[in-house]
Amino acid sequence: MRKLINVTINGVEYELGVKPNLTLLDLLRYEVGLTGTKKGCETGECGACTVILDGKPVTSCLVLAVQANGKKILTIEGLEKDGNLHPIQQAFVDKGAIQCGFCTSGMILSAKHLLEQNPSPSEAEIRKSISGNLCRCTGYQKIVQAIISVPGRTEK
Amino acid sequence: MILPKFDFFEPGSLEEACDLLGQLGSGGRLLAGGTDLLVNMKKRLLSPRNVISLGAIDEMKKIDISNGTIRIGACVTAGDLAASATLTQLLPSLWEGASSLGSPLIRNLATIGGNLVTARPAADLPPPLIACGASVVLKKNSGERSLALESFFRGPGETLRKEDEIVTSVLVEKPPPNSGAAYIKLGLRNALEISLVNVAACISLNPGGTIQKSRVVLGAVSPTPIRALSAEKTLSGEKPSESLFLEAARNAARDCNPIDDYRGSAEYRREMVKVLTRRALKRAFERATGPRSL
Repeated sequence: MRKLINVTINGVEYELGVKPNLTLLDLLRYEVGLTGTKKGCETGECGACTVILDGKPVTSCLVLAVQANGKKILTIEGLEKDGNLHPIQQAFVDKGAIQCGFCTSGMILSAKHLLEQNPSPSEAEIRKSISGNLCRCTGYQKIVQAIISVPGRTEK
Repeated sequence: MILPKFDFFEPGSLEEACDLLGQLGSGGRLLAGGTDLLVNMKKRLLSPRNVISLGAIDEMKKIDISNGTIRIGACVTAGDLAASATLTQLLPSLWEGASSLGSPLIRNLATIGGNLVTARPAADLPPPLIACGASVVLKKNSGERSLALESFFRGPGETLRKEDEIVTSVLVEKPPPNSGAAYIKLGLRNALEISLVNVAACISLNPGGTIQKSRVVLGAVSPTPIRALSAEKTLSGEKPSESLFLEAARNAARDCNPIDDYRGSAEYRREMVKVLTRRALKRAFERATGPRSL
């Protein structure tokens, strides 16, 4: 039996009929077509599926689509404005923080949440904030450098 | 990985949830943070016919402090616990447990109630809560009862919660003046880690400086979290000192019953119980006497 849900994804409202056993991750990728959110381990361990749900980054593989009813979701596709990359996205490009790219959307969303909460994080705080996002290319150094280089971040 | 099929319910109140759970019986499974249930369902370890989400019950997401009791709703997430300035001050050991659970992403989903009812021997929240003397409130449609958390766990994955009961909140008495608590977790890495050993300690001091009451709780070294009773006995009535803490720590190592597995040997775990108990007692004592004391 399908359930009707109302969700706001990247500022756009959707009314969707979903099966109870559909995850938010599969809703985004297969029903809405937003494939920037990646599907990795599917058990909450890799962070590739990170989205921001009502202001907090979560693993969308462990959220049911029906649980997202009435909520606001931000995915990587919602970051660019007027064709311009978000400053964190630009920093990842400039610093070579993207290798295979599979962890990138999750890393950027975790970093975005961190910088909103704490505009001048220390390196240790940055590393802690992305500790749920696994980079199998092991490119952490460049990722951390990219987050450090985001304009507007004040030195600590 | 596709989730097995189920019917989904999202009651708006606790009463409605209790009625629903009462009707569905063993065919109903409660969903809070989902970080355990949904993984087990994906792995086909569980295939409940009905899933009852507790996510729309606002009263289960609140932290209240009144008449000296801290009431934490069962659906408060580990992230909420870690972000609560009041709790950080009042229950620093719970803060340490909550902020070392899983990863930031998991902490935004995983709930305190879920961390208790799943009853994993290495879970991060039971030791600090037991050390603070916490109790759990269980509700069903015909009434409510509360249980000391210390006696709630029966074995891995097993608790005294009955099929028709919902853990609605966790109660902790506001710590008395001159008391302190600490929680230390040892893993093989710093995030998304299941403790190899964890230890929580809580110390209350008499006005004269001797130890009035203490609790030492060990995790991941027994089928359930356990109190190190001989360590507590060593501390009782004594004047705190490094050598006293070491003696208590040695006794704690004898109180536990760790296993050998691929992550660590029993011998190593027992040694680490000693090390972590000494450190946790020292930290709890510093908090009892230092500026963080409340």
